[in-house]
Amino acid sequence: MSESLRMVVVLAIIGMVSAGILSVVYDTTSVIIEENAARALESSVYEVLPGTVTVEIIRSSGNQLRVDDPKEMREEEQRTTLIYQGLDGQGNVLGYAFVGEANGYGGVIRILVGVDEATDQILNAKVLAHSETPGLGDRIEGENFRSRFVGKMVTDPIAIGQDIDGLSGATVSSRAAADAVRQGFIDTIAVYRGGE
Amino acid sequence: MVLWKDFVRGLWAENPTFRLNIGLCPVLAVTTSAINGLSMGAATVFVLICSTALISLIKGIIPDKVRIPAYIIVISTFTTIVDLVMHAYLPDLHSVLGIFIPLIVVNCIVLGRAEAFAAKNSVIRSAFDGLGMGLGFTWALTLLGSIRELLGSGTLFGLALIPEGATTLGIMSLPPGAFITLGILMAVMNMVSARQKKMAS
Amino acid sequence: MNLFTILLSALLVNNFVLVRFLGICPFMGVSKDVDSAIGMGLATTFVMVVTAAATWLIQWFILEPAGLPFLQTLAFILVIASMVQLVEMFLHKTSPSLYRAMGIFLPLITTNCAILGFAIMGVQNSYSFIETVIFGLGAGLGFTLALMLMASIREDLRFADIPKPLRGVGIAFILAGLLSLAFGGFAGLV
Repeated sequence: MSESLRMVVVLAIIGMVSAGILSVVYDTTSVIIEENAARALESSVYEVLPGTVTVEIIRSSGNQLRVDDPKEMREEEQRTTLIYQGLDGQGNVLGYAFVGEANGYGGVIRILVGVDEATDQILNAKVLAHSETPGLGDRIEGENFRSRFVGKMVTDPIAIGQDIDGLSGATVSSRAAADAVRQGFIDTIAVYRGGE
Repeated sequence: MVLWKDFVRGLWAENPTFRLNIGLCPVLAVTTSAINGLSMGAATVFVLICSTALISLIKGIIPDKVRIPAYIIVISTFTTIVDLVMHAYLPDLHSVLGIFIPLIVVNCIVLGRAEAFAAKNSVIRSAFDGLGMGLGFTWALTLLGSIRELLGSGTLFGLALIPEGATTLGIMSLPPGAFITLGILMAVMNMVSARQKKMAS
Repeated sequence: MNLFTILLSALLVNNFVLVRFLGICPFMGVSKDVDSAIGMGLATTFVMVVTAAATWLIQWFILEPAGLPFLQTLAFILVIASMVQLVEMFLHKTSPSLYRAMGIFLPLITTNCAILGFAIMGVQNSYSFIETVIFGLGAGLGFTLALMLMASIREDLRFADIPKPLRGVGIAFILAGLLSLAFGGFAGLV
């Protein structure tokens, strides 16, 4: 076997064996990973919609797989706000929760916001993911900052400098968090209340 | 016994962090606490042992010109396995260690040992070498993590060790603290090894 | 997030070496004099920009549509290794003296965690093609900046009377800590 051919063949074999092994591991673990994520999200919904016993998915990420245009598909995914509904033990709707996203300093900030069904006012907010600077931007996780969103309605500005105080030394993070909440709220009301 | 020597080497005399100064990125990044450092070390040990053992096993069939790409494929396979398994079974740890788990593939220790040792030695010796190097890396990570956690948050492995309300050195949890602590530790290790040499002579 | 913010953030505010802890090995290894620091920095930046383009295409046109996100690490690192190989061959032909001067450090660019690091980050942040390229440019330039700063100080340190245990890597890390502290001042810039 010529040297070049041998090089290609050996690499190809190693590559394929490796891809095969990873495929198997992925199939097993991805199920568990998704379950974990779903459970984590559910428990977060319990937090922002107190009294919730069951969680219903109103809107999940875009199902249209635009394989021909992955960029379009990704942007579609980005635009879609995830919406959940919280039901109490008797099946009454307590409220709805949405996941707002915006780009902060270090990456995407995802915030779960719980809204009261009756008053359409924000009950609570919880930061699900962020890559902000420890000690500075990560203070958006704290009770102090999150409580600033409580009581807001979609008609409120929900903007730093207007009706929400930013965190000192973390302007970008605060602004991104507020953007995430505001934009997510607007999208959610359009879908949740728009159909009625 | 030569296997014992292969193992012990990585722990102190050729400790990858303090003596060889390789694989330093995770040493600074994930040592915000002792448990993080320990976990990172454990993940790396797994990749190290598996990779060096497998590479030593198949070294005969890999043409020399493509050995680096071949090693990379093997190492990244084990790295991805660790990534997926941790994501599924240890999600909190996975999210804390974050991007540094896939970065194990470019940890100079792994590729370095594959090239320098596994490519030329038996499977069993490579495995012991990998274990020693990995554990040497792990105790360095855990030590740095413990210091930063203790001084930065007053806890060790999550247990609060200082009285309520006592001031902590916040800088320890931030990048500057990591750099400076490592620099001082390097100096301390140098002093210890210099003393060892003096006593031996 | 506009392009300028991405660039400035990667370059200064979230500098890859001094804040994100990526690229530490070459940072320590090649920062002993300014010339090799600049050479290494620019070579790395070039590899990063090319890698940005390649990894973006691979992620969104091959891995995602085929449902193979778990092959990301493998695919990316192979891309990086290939790019470095190409850069090596290119330098060898066009500037043999530079090629010789960089020596062993050229192939070592492959193991620079900053390159794989930023590529993965770009995907996680769902950056567009141009955003990923700018991100790579910023990361590379930030790496070069940190390297240059480090090298210029270490060049002067050669004449300083440093206590024996601290010589070499010890003082270099403390130096890096001070630089990192200084870069912390950029927080809030954008």
